[in-house]
Amino acid sequence: MELWQQLLHGFATAATPINLVWAFVGCLIGTAVGVLPGIGPALAVAMLLPITTHVEATASMIMFAGIYYGAMYGGSTTSILLNTPGETGTMVTAMEGNLMAKHGRAGAALATAALGSFVAGTVATALVTLFAPGIAEYALRFGPPEYFALMMLAFVTVSAVLGQSTLRGLTSLFLGLALGLVGIDQITGSARYTLGVPELVDGIEVVLVAVGLFAVGEAMYGVLYEGRPSETRNRMSSIWMTRSDWRRSIPAWLRGTGLGFPFGTIPAGGTEIPTFLSYALEKRLSRHKEEFGTVGAIEGVAGPEAANNATVTAAMVPLLTLGIPTSTTAAIILSAFQNYGIQPGPTLFQTSATLVWALIASLYIGNVMLLVLNLPLVGLWVKLLNIPRPQLYAGILVFAALGVYGMRQSAFDLFLLFAIGLLGLAMRRFDFPTAPVIVGMILGPMAEAQMRNALSIGEGRWSVFFERPLAATILVVCLVVLVLPRVLRGRARSALQAAG
Amino acid sequence: MKDRRQWGVGAGVLVLAAVLALGALDIPSAAGYAGVGPNFLPWVVAGGLAVCGVLLLREAFAAARAGAQAPTPPGPVCWRGLGWVSAGLLLNALLVTRLGFVLGCTVLFVCAARGFRLARGGGAPARTVALDTLVGVSLSAPAYWIFTKALGLTLPGLTATGWI
Repeated sequence: MELWQQLLHGFATAATPINLVWAFVGCLIGTAVGVLPGIGPALAVAMLLPITTHVEATASMIMFAGIYYGAMYGGSTTSILLNTPGETGTMVTAMEGNLMAKHGRAGAALATAALGSFVAGTVATALVTLFAPGIAEYALRFGPPEYFALMMLAFVTVSAVLGQSTLRGLTSLFLGLALGLVGIDQITGSARYTLGVPELVDGIEVVLVAVGLFAVGEAMYGVLYEGRPSETRNRMSSIWMTRSDWRRSIPAWLRGTGLGFPFGTIPAGGTEIPTFLSYALEKRLSRHKEEFGTVGAIEGVAGPEAANNATVTAAMVPLLTLGIPTSTTAAIILSAFQNYGIQPGPTLFQTSATLVWALIASLYIGNVMLLVLNLPLVGLWVKLLNIPRPQLYAGILVFAALGVYGMRQSAFDLFLLFAIGLLGLAMRRFDFPTAPVIVGMILGPMAEAQMRNALSIGEGRWSVFFERPLAATILVVCLVVLVLPRVLRGRARSALQAAG
Repeated sequence: MKDRRQWGVGAGVLVLAAVLALGALDIPSAAGYAGVGPNFLPWVVAGGLAVCGVLLLREAFAAARAGAQAPTPPGPVCWRGLGWVSAGLLLNALLVTRLGFVLGCTVLFVCAARGFRLARGGGAPARTVALDTLVGVSLSAPAYWIFTKALGLTLPGLTATGWI
């Protein structure tokens, strides 16, 4: 009962005209950002972070959530029409949706993606409403050892799951940890790796690194290697789903939501696994298997797209209840919270109840807004793609510089941005995933503090991590995540050899 | 040639590990109750990077022995384009406090756009430069106004009026 009252309060806050405007602006920017190739939600939120110094916390959180969601909707548009997935989560949509578009069914693909996102987003938000407060209450009992173990899980899964190779993922993670070391040690206050540069004493901004790796690095990679893109656009057909489209989409949406939500709630990082699982599931269950990979099957768009959105929404659960970001965008939203001096975590539901419930309510509102924005306006969004590449990327770089400079008003940061851009270029060239860098930077200092606090509690004994059942269990899971894929691969290999 | 680059990646990671370890020597080790001090994580990270570096080298070595080709870049390489983009970013960093935000970003825009035109095999006749300058100004000026006038953020200006 109390829950509904708080949700109603949240709606009262979120539905004030000014907050509705912020939500709308967020959805609008998010969709535009999602449609434009090369800019993802993480980057968009990062570039707009400077407004946290001047806009009230609730309003900017509502806007960021809108951007986060909007980019997911917009991303499916480009994936379907242009076959250019903006981020890994929409890769499956690009595979199957683009095939549909090539066979004249772009409209149905776009519609099922938008409606599926809406259904998944709304169902997942309802689940967040129901479960997040309970989890937060439970998490209040977590001590430093449990937190440390959870962060180890996040490290391991993020680096093992993202990208092609665990080794490359781990290297990226250590790189991020190294960047996170720069600055003042949180516990004793001693300076580390500042090289006598005053700007480095405050540490390196996570946002700067995110913008450098994603925007500047991408732009540099684009100009160096991808000068002549060969993009073909598919013509739009009417956004009208036939009765059979509906019949095939609805169960796929629900299955995708069911798959996606749990993946978002565990600190396992990324939308790849649930979207690929959903795709595999739809392919197995479908009565139209012959359409997969040939003319494009509508289930193959509906399921993964719903899974994608459910995962993204569910990421709010660990973010709000534990303060652990499970995606890059969530990580940047976390640093926005920190800009306001708010630390997301179990106590957030008590200390900032108004903010949290307004944010949750705005997720419901944002979903409706996005549906309204997307179904009729797809034609308009596609016009954004007419911006010539030189000007598009030059513009992205201008906004990257604006965002980075605006945070600390320091020209030093602009040089640093250039350096991080070069790093991003090299990482992209040699196939190192960039997301673990961000996760390492954000979680590294937090994990270090939790570890040292835990060791203090245990008076320096490392056994403190294994004496508490929950912490020990999570650490064992970490080991399994690292070892299991190798064992399975080894088995498959020997099975192949035995067969051959 | 290609494989040497893969070697280079492993070697670079090793060098980075060494630099971190060198820096870790200067960090105090005062541990308190925890038994580990502020220099603990730096050593862990340096060690982790060293292990990754060695494993990357081993991978490159194995790939070379198997005669595998390293992944090739997807298209023709355009260093001049990258040069222009880099110049734009560095010039903006150098000039932003002197020329103000709007002009600094316009320089960035023009240079970056030129880089991308070169990469596409296009030239940069005076007309395109003029057009890019116009687009650059009409992009950075409103952004500047929104942030300084509406949101109250301080960004460097050329004049005291706060409009340029």
